[in-house]
Amino acid sequence: MAKKHKITLSEEELISALRRREKVAAEALYDMYSASLYGVIFRIVNDTATAEDVLQEAFVKIWNSASSYSAEKGRLFTWMLNIARNLAIDKVRSKDFKNQYKNQELENNVGYIDKHNSTEYKPELLGVKDLVETLKPEQKSILDLIYFKGYTHTEAADELGIPLGTIKTRLRMAIMQLRRHFN
Amino acid sequence: MSVEDIKAYIESGVLELYVLGDLSAEEKAEVEALALKNPAIKAELDEIEKATHLYADVHDIEPADELRHRILNSLMTNLGDDRTFSKGKYNQPEARVAPIKPATTSIFYKYAFAASILLLCLCGGALVMVLNRLQNARQQLVTYQLQNQKFTRQVSQMDEEIAVFRDTTFRFVKLKGTAKMPQANVTVAWSSQRKKVMLDVATAALPAPDKGHQYQLWAIANGKPVDLGVFDAAEADSTKMMEMKSTGEAQAFAITLEPTGGSPKPTTEPLVIAAL
Repeated sequence: MAKKHKITLSEEELISALRRREKVAAEALYDMYSASLYGVIFRIVNDTATAEDVLQEAFVKIWNSASSYSAEKGRLFTWMLNIARNLAIDKVRSKDFKNQYKNQELENNVGYIDKHNSTEYKPELLGVKDLVETLKPEQKSILDLIYFKGYTHTEAADELGIPLGTIKTRLRMAIMQLRRHFN
Repeated sequence: MSVEDIKAYIESGVLELYVLGDLSAEEKAEVEALALKNPAIKAELDEIEKATHLYADVHDIEPADELRHRILNSLMTNLGDDRTFSKGKYNQPEARVAPIKPATTSIFYKYAFAASILLLCLCGGALVMVLNRLQNARQQLVTYQLQNQKFTRQVSQMDEEIAVFRDTTFRFVKLKGTAKMPQANVTVAWSSQRKKVMLDVATAALPAPDKGHQYQLWAIANGKPVDLGVFDAAEADSTKMMEMKSTGEAQAFAITLEPTGGSPKPTTEPLVIAAL
């Protein structure tokens, strides 16, 4: 399948174009972040049609509230991801969705995605997968519960039967491990 | 905040939770305020954000190609109208429809309810009217039935009377008033063959007797009076021909005034009399 040429802007360029509501900003926003946001959304909602709807809702919300984003509060992706995650979590916790997808287990599905979803080859991510592999299972499970299942750290503590302090420590350790990629 | 405090704050793991959107509004505001004042915290946040972004990138999934067009279209179609867009265009269809729908439904049900009650009242009124008419009709029917019975009786009586006239064996005997009652006259029809005596009450011109007396008809057969029964004076509306006791033989008819119930033999002089 022929891919369109993807648009990439620096974060500063993207933010100012976004504020001016330029078409190129919307395109860059989608091309730069859709796959990462969709990966998180899909793992939370566990259903293609729902994930696509949530991704669309997320982009519309991001596009409409771009003026409320300020670089001082953090990176653009962090802000976008929190919008997308919250929409996905709201969807999963809605009554209709619960009735429909009650029986599906996240872990099974994540395994399925990781085994069968061919992602694009990205040279900049070379070595990151290996890095993720080095995460201890108890660190990864906490990160995944919060990241891909929409748990709060309190809920994760209950789910795993681990004290809140341990959850925080393990989460920090997991992220420290990932940070090695940049050092 | 001392360097040690900052270090402890960073190591508490609260910044990771901040980046993952897992803090209350107050905790969030505290992190943001501290990040503004402390470059070390700001730098730490930036590192955490990069790491979580990396984690998302590693787990990315390329959405379907058609989705790019769909989503960009949904953003672009509203570029020209910032006002509607800033309100949250994707919410609008729902937001617009949701309040109207229940409103129309409730108004519809209100009207439907009112209409139902009105209909019920009308039905009740109509039912009462119909019941009244039914009762009237029943009363009329009873009246007509009674009239019908009366007419049937009259007709059968008249048939009998006509039969008397048609029967050639009957003789009509006009009894005339005696000196006691010169205006009186009574007609009697008699068939010797059938031994029947009919008294025409309708045309009988006799004054009404007092309460203690009745008229009595006699046949004179072979010189002896034979009792043919008692009767009252002609009633005003009577068309009756009254059948009296039977006799096959008579040379004359006479009527006397007797005590109520009649007498075995005449006790007074005849008032009307006719000889055959």
